[in-house]
Amino acid sequence: MSPEALELELDRMHPAAFGWALACCAGDRTAAEDALQASYLKILDGRARFDGRSSFRTWLFAIVRNTAAELRRRAALRRLLPLAVLSARPDGRLDPATELARADTTRRLTAALDTLPRRQREMLHLVFYQDLTITEAAEVAGVSLGTARTHYERGKAALRKLLKDEPE
Amino acid sequence: MTKGNDHDLGERFQALRREDAAGAPPFNAMLATARTRRARPPRRRTVWLAAAAVVVACVGLVLLFTRPHRHGVTIDLAAVRWDAPTDFLLDLPGAALLRALPKLGRVTLPGAGFTDTNSDRRTP
Repeated sequence: MSPEALELELDRMHPAAFGWALACCAGDRTAAEDALQASYLKILDGRARFDGRSSFRTWLFAIVRNTAAELRRRAALRRLLPLAVLSARPDGRLDPATELARADTTRRLTAALDTLPRRQREMLHLVFYQDLTITEAAEVAGVSLGTARTHYERGKAALRKLLKDEPE
Repeated sequence: MTKGNDHDLGERFQALRREDAAGAPPFNAMLATARTRRARPPRRRTVWLAAAAVVVACVGLVLLFTRPHRHGVTIDLAAVRWDAPTDFLLDLPGAALLRALPKLGRVTLPGAGFTDTNSDRRTP
């Protein structure tokens, strides 16, 4: 794929990729933008190559997921250093700007999603938000189909319960 | 179909998707920022490396000057004596003969009854 075609494809996928990056960074907008920028650079620099074994979207999402995990590990390491406490933001919480911009129903959904384990959250996002099949979601998350299905079913049940229990 | 009758959940997620899409930063702006970031020299990494090197050097110096016995333990060999538990096996009867210098004309056998100078048997 030529660099121009690659850039066009990334542009087309950008809104979905941003949503996925937000999900990978637990709603932290700044972290999501960092992860997405780093992912785009990896792709455009040729450090990540699309070989056509999966769909472009699945491949892109896997890169975003791995990059977000890398950044999260680095941030965790930085928090271990004494001076990093001054600049660290609590992990796993939405930043205030994103939180304020959300409508009430979506705010309740994101709050419920935040309480789920990461794998379950990822599966639900990939299937319901990104309209991927469970097979594609398993590819993105790097797990077997059986594992993906288990996370999906458990996550769905837990989310339903959380949304039902919550006062309207 | 994997979703079955999960239409309500799907609707919620699609609403979230619309909100996220509305707030997504423009692709070109994000790409430009990423390229600027790539062009910038990796100053932060250098600063971290320098700080880590300073910390390691400080820890090394502190250890060097504060550890006791930093030149190793010295043993006064002159004051040390060690006897093996089987040393008695080396004490053979008559071992004194082997250590003493024999003198001509004199009997120095222990227990011989005469070990003095009077034991000179030489004939005139």
